[in-house]
Amino acid sequence: MKTDHLIDALARNVEPAEKPRWRMNLAITLLVGLVVAVALVAIGLGVRPDLGTARMPIMMKAMFSALAAAVVLPLALQLMKPGRPLGWRIGAVVAFVALCAVCVVVALMGEEPGERMAMWMGNGVPWCVVLIPVLAVPTAVLLVWLMRAFAPTRLTLTGAAIGALSGGVGAMAYAMYCPVDSAAFVMTWYVLGIALSAAIGALVGAKFLRW
Amino acid sequence: MADEAHLRALLLQGLAGDDAAHRAFLTEAAGLLRAYFRNRLRGQAEDAEDLVQETLVALHTRRDTYDPNYPLTAWMYAIARYRLIDFLRRAKHRATAPLDGVEVGDIDPQFDASDAKRDVAVLLDKLPEKQRTAIRLVKLEDRSIKEAASQTGLSESDIKISIHRGLKTLMRLMGQEQTT
Repeated sequence: MKTDHLIDALARNVEPAEKPRWRMNLAITLLVGLVVAVALVAIGLGVRPDLGTARMPIMMKAMFSALAAAVVLPLALQLMKPGRPLGWRIGAVVAFVALCAVCVVVALMGEEPGERMAMWMGNGVPWCVVLIPVLAVPTAVLLVWLMRAFAPTRLTLTGAAIGALSGGVGAMAYAMYCPVDSAAFVMTWYVLGIALSAAIGALVGAKFLRW
Repeated sequence: MADEAHLRALLLQGLAGDDAAHRAFLTEAAGLLRAYFRNRLRGQAEDAEDLVQETLVALHTRRDTYDPNYPLTAWMYAIARYRLIDFLRRAKHRATAPLDGVEVGDIDPQFDASDAKRDVAVLLDKLPEKQRTAIRLVKLEDRSIKEAASQTGLSESDIKISIHRGLKTLMRLMGQEQTT
């Protein structure tokens, strides 16, 4: 078939194009991802026993995770469709991470030297770095599915954005389990957990996002 | 650029369902894409034409991802660039059969004498029957959606969905074609 014939075929009986309804779909995707992650925490890890009294710190940690996801969201939206400038949206992510680093240092400076390590490491191995990416998986799978309906052309970057976004959602669920409440701990290891999710997303993104 | 505004108007009319405008858009896009791919694949005119066709199907099936708030050419070339990278990646995969083995003007009995290396018509035969029938009736034989529906006993929306899916499958097949 010659190119002219292909064009004839494509342009014959053209239907008016539908506007893809991404807002609603994206909201549902993120919500379902969060619900599944919360269920995984409740079944697999168990919710904190002091859920009643620790409501405030849990809320704060969940809010922080939601904020991290919200910072990545504009970037992910630009990557959904071809040929859109990224501009300040990458800067926003970088600024957010830099701000967290500054906050960690400031928070640790305010502690007694002897307690700094405990505040930072949370008395043991910070499992959140591993568990946040695990809890991000359901959201990531749904987001890839959503993205495939569009036409992302920068697959590595799109994969990273999906990873970071679902990492944020995973961290929200993880907050219900996480026993450490210090700000320095959360801002270091939650951010690293989300960053690891982004790195995994960048690695496998191209494989699943091809169209 | 005058091109930008002109092309954009055509695409938007096409998005509203105007056949002639959509045809004009695809024709002008094909010209620009041909220059783009030939520039980057010197001496591989057939591969370039394959990519032109592949990108045209991509532009058509993903036309709903164009947002009028952003430049049209950026959207178009982002898709073209994506198809080119995908092509180069595939070419690297089959390192045993290097691209430069195929010269322009080579007579290869496997391929019909057309400007593109592959034949879209042959690929159409690989589609699932429902998709193939829908595309054949509406896109090649110029029946209306309604006629195609009554002829096949499928619903009109079924025909529309089959065409849309079929074209997407076709684009994927166009990509896989070269891997083998």
